[in-house]
Amino acid sequence: MCFKNNEMRKESDILEKAGRRDGMTVPEGFFESFAEQMASRLPENPAAERPAVLRPKTTWQRLRPYVYMAAMFAGIWCMLKMFTMMTPSAGVDLSIENNKVLSSALSDEHFIYDYINDDISSREVWEEMYEDSIDVEEVISDDALLAEPASGIED
Amino acid sequence: MSKETPQENSELIGRLREPATCRAAFNEVMKLYSEPLYWQIRRMVQSHDDASDILQNTFLKAWQSIDQFRGDARLSTWLHKIAINESLTHLARERKRLSVSLDDEEGRMADLIEADEWTDGEALAKELRKAVATLPEKQRLVFNMKYFDDMKYEQISEILGTTVGALKASYHLATRKIEAYFAARQ
Repeated sequence: MCFKNNEMRKESDILEKAGRRDGMTVPEGFFESFAEQMASRLPENPAAERPAVLRPKTTWQRLRPYVYMAAMFAGIWCMLKMFTMMTPSAGVDLSIENNKVLSSALSDEHFIYDYINDDISSREVWEEMYEDSIDVEEVISDDALLAEPASGIED
Repeated sequence: MSKETPQENSELIGRLREPATCRAAFNEVMKLYSEPLYWQIRRMVQSHDDASDILQNTFLKAWQSIDQFRGDARLSTWLHKIAINESLTHLARERKRLSVSLDDEEGRMADLIEADEWTDGEALAKELRKAVATLPEKQRLVFNMKYFDDMKYEQISEILGTTVGALKASYHLATRKIEAYFAARQ
């Protein structure tokens, strides 16, 4: 849309002539009565008009933070206790010499002998001999051969 | 008849936030802003009765959401935004109700202006209203706020959410169209 300068001046004059007036009017006292009427028509607005009510806390609500804190400390204590039990302390000697039961058992020759040989039966010896293709009957009849191993074997 | 936007009042906003004083403060808001908001609405919808109804809806909506107004924006900006939304919604609803397209809106507006009984009867003012009614809605808003309400571009920018540069361009274009409208009738 192109206008020559004199045309633009002339047309801008039209807006100036109008003087920022639109010629619109309202009934007399409209704005005064409008505000009053609206004020009487405004509905309740609980969100804005009612103050936020703070309800009293229940016993549990008051105690809850302390209970949670106590539970947390108890958990930490249990974990520390468990770690202490799992880790060998520097001051405790767990050697066999320090354990009376173990050291007395190991110093007893009969105990060791019984511990090692107690569960070996003559049947197992015979089975092993059989697997090694040794004739058991020949061995039994041979007193010289039987004398030595038989001394440590019990039925 | 004052058409100026009242100065912002921080004390009033403070009372709006207090449950005990908010209703009385809102009554004060209505007294302060009913006139500037009415003219903004009226220039968009032309009819006094429609403008009055839309102004009521504007204040009702503002009242219902007053607890959401946090004071970040200016009170006048917030109210103007509601008024503009209500006006545009009304125009769209009327177009739909009367099965009028956007192209035919100009003729409907001219009829409304002719039939309007609440005018001072000045021919130039009436013709200017008709010229403004030929503008697209957004341009009409910009022109009304700048020309009639003499608002600053910064405030219009806050209300419409448009940059100052775009507003200046829009106002310039609107002025040209109005000038062309008068030129065509000479």
